[in-house]
Amino acid sequence: MITITPRTSAGWQAQLAAYVLALLLGFSASALLITASGASVSEGFGALYEGAFGSWEAVLQSLVAATPLIFTGLATVIAFRAEIWSIGQEGQMFAGAMCGYWASLYLGGAPWLIAIPIIILAAMVGGGALGGLCGWLKTRFSVNEIISTVMLNYVVVYLLSYLLAGGPWTAEGSTSYHQTPVFAENFHLPLLVGSVKLHIGFPLALAAAAVCWVIIKKTPLGFEIRALGFNPTALRFKGVNVTRTVLIVMCLSGALSALAGVSEIFGVNYRLRGDVMAGLGFTGIIVGMIGGLNPIGAVIAALLFGALANGSLYMSVLSDIPPSLVPAMQGILLLFFLSASVLVRYSINIVRPVHV
Amino acid sequence: MPIPTIEARGLCKSFGPVRANHDISFSVHAGELLCLFGENGAGKSTLSACLTGLFPPDKGEIIYKGAPLKMSSAADAIRAGIGLVHQHFVLVPDFTVLENIVIGSERRLVVNYGEAEAKLRQICETYGIDIDPNALVRDLSVGEQQWAELLKALYFDADLLILDEPTATLDIENSKKLFRIIEKLKADDVALILISHFLDEVMQSDRVAVLRQGEVAGIRSTSETSPEELTRMMVGRDLEPKVRQASSVGPARLMLENVTVGQKGQKPELSNISLTIHQGEIFGIAGVAGNGQNPLMEVIAGVRVPASGRITLDGTEISGLNARVIKDMGLGHIPDDRFVEGLVPELSIEENLILGDHRGFYSRGGLLDFPKMRMSAERMIREYQISAPSAETPTGNLSGGNAQRVILAREKRLATRVLLANQPTRGLDVGVIEYIHTKLLEKRAEGVAVLIASSELEDLMNLCDRIGVLFQGRLMGIVEAGRTNLEEIGLLMAGQAMEEAA
Repeated sequence: MITITPRTSAGWQAQLAAYVLALLLGFSASALLITASGASVSEGFGALYEGAFGSWEAVLQSLVAATPLIFTGLATVIAFRAEIWSIGQEGQMFAGAMCGYWASLYLGGAPWLIAIPIIILAAMVGGGALGGLCGWLKTRFSVNEIISTVMLNYVVVYLLSYLLAGGPWTAEGSTSYHQTPVFAENFHLPLLVGSVKLHIGFPLALAAAAVCWVIIKKTPLGFEIRALGFNPTALRFKGVNVTRTVLIVMCLSGALSALAGVSEIFGVNYRLRGDVMAGLGFTGIIVGMIGGLNPIGAVIAALLFGALANGSLYMSVLSDIPPSLVPAMQGILLLFFLSASVLVRYSINIVRPVHV
Repeated sequence: MPIPTIEARGLCKSFGPVRANHDISFSVHAGELLCLFGENGAGKSTLSACLTGLFPPDKGEIIYKGAPLKMSSAADAIRAGIGLVHQHFVLVPDFTVLENIVIGSERRLVVNYGEAEAKLRQICETYGIDIDPNALVRDLSVGEQQWAELLKALYFDADLLILDEPTATLDIENSKKLFRIIEKLKADDVALILISHFLDEVMQSDRVAVLRQGEVAGIRSTSETSPEELTRMMVGRDLEPKVRQASSVGPARLMLENVTVGQKGQKPELSNISLTIHQGEIFGIAGVAGNGQNPLMEVIAGVRVPASGRITLDGTEISGLNARVIKDMGLGHIPDDRFVEGLVPELSIEENLILGDHRGFYSRGGLLDFPKMRMSAERMIREYQISAPSAETPTGNLSGGNAQRVILAREKRLATRVLLANQPTRGLDVGVIEYIHTKLLEKRAEGVAVLIASSELEDLMNLCDRIGVLFQGRLMGIVEAGRTNLEEIGLLMAGQAMEEAA
């Protein structure tokens, strides 16, 4: 018989060991998958490493890939901590990118020092409003947030398709590319000094993680968010406006997701198109979960997933491994990480029944 | 001397830093009723869990019918012939009584229900239990569910029966019946362990083992001890005799005028309540739980909004105001359900102590004031004698009494004008009850208006200046505590209105 009992506490060494082991086992399982697909494991992992950390440039590229995942991961952390199961990171990211682009249409030749903050602000308002809408539906009409956020994801993603392919944002003379023309340079997120790739979105994401950490751990709002996740009734009995807390959480989560859209569109692609963002919101959910719903953990998980995404590009170019194996590897890693987090909190014993 | 049915030798069980059982030894013989007596959190439930295989002891051994017994699950205990009657029912509501009993006991692939039913009816007849084996459990009253729970243990012919606070849900008549059944079981040479903190029941056992802070404080033959000695052993000191200062009732403080609570179009949960509580007065609400106590407390505290009527605090209207605003005016509220309405069980003692004041008293410059939180938590843990490893212990790990002390500590600081206490002593033992009463009397001496709802009539009689009786949301009458008796209040509780309201 198997018994599962809560552990009183596991030291940080044991926790670290558990997660390192999960990583190793995850890669071992992925290796089996690669073998099954008929490709060479050493070649595949070699290419993966090359793309993720193989050169200074690869490292920077990995950080760029990690940036939007940090934002959507943080969006997950804030919402899930309050036990609000928002799956709307994807749509909110799209909404953020679209609102940022919309604002840029009115900014003409404004210097970047003025244009960029306005674009960022507009994006956050857009994403925040979309998140807030789901929060309002939840508090006012008891609409389950999982349903509303998932459905609105579709609405927003298809809205962008319409706008770019036949709608008002369609590029002159081409409806087939589903993208806007390249932005003027004053709308590009500035690159970090001495870099050709890494834009200010990355330090912004780290700052956002620090802010989220402070909010959750150190502020009265964060206290309410944690307490809300566990027991909203006790909060209501002490006169805490639970409705307001839910709305704030959803707006914050939406605004964070929106920044993922800004960093991908204005920091990397310099034109608005949907396909480059697709999936970054959903991956953010995995990132937040692997990060143990902790802002710092989410940053670490996002860095891992950024490296994986970038490495997989190399893998698909340099080896015969089908690129569709990468999401499978992400899924496998998630399973192992979640198993490790269970092992950290519970001890599982196999007990032989004793007969009298 | 024959071999005891069960003997515990030096049982120890800890949960992290919490030492729930330490070096516990005792024995029970066939045909004997041993009572485990102790406060909440003294380790009674942990001990019964060790004896029934729910978790193995860290140290020590259990000798069962002369041989060491190691159990790794409840199934092992059942197989050995040890039955446990749970304090909280472990029944499947959508199954019949018979099905519930058969699930745990039969290990054959195909159950012969006819045979099982015949056996169950036989048992019911032997022990005089009147229950339909084919009734669905969810259609049973709470008392009947207790019988079903007991039948589960009787069905497989247990040699040792552990009863965990079985009378908590039974009325007096059924409690007597339970003890008649216990007598029959004793005559059939079953060994029984009764876990209780009711002295009346304890005195009906053969021997009493008193537990205090996880250790055996002493074992006595019931015929050679007294309730006073047992209480002293349980608490570890003498109880102070209750001294009631003469009341010095001041001007009106909290006034309710024709307050009604309820949804439109439905029977009101509280109808047309008018009452006045003065400075330095304790006003008691008697009544069977569920007759409007919760809506009354919640509407005063601002958790709910009255449908009509007016509530004033020192002349200022507070009806319809937000609970936070009312709290800031000097109102403390000890709610009915500790772990749902009063605490966030997953958060620490320290964090629960700031609940509601996390944006005011305990914040500085937009951040939580951690040094202040820690200082005040440690002071309150000392002052209110909350026994916990540290201020960071989750409140969900605390016993009922310690959890209530946390709520009391938080609310007493807030209650500068009014303190509401809804069933503040329910399920707690004498030591904590006495402590809570002392704190309520302290508030009264400070001139606070105290409103307490309790189903313990004698406590209300000892504590209150006046008592109002709620029945189906209506105030049946108000009596002076000094000029009434239990019979008068009992009649009001049963719904008989007073001829003339006081």
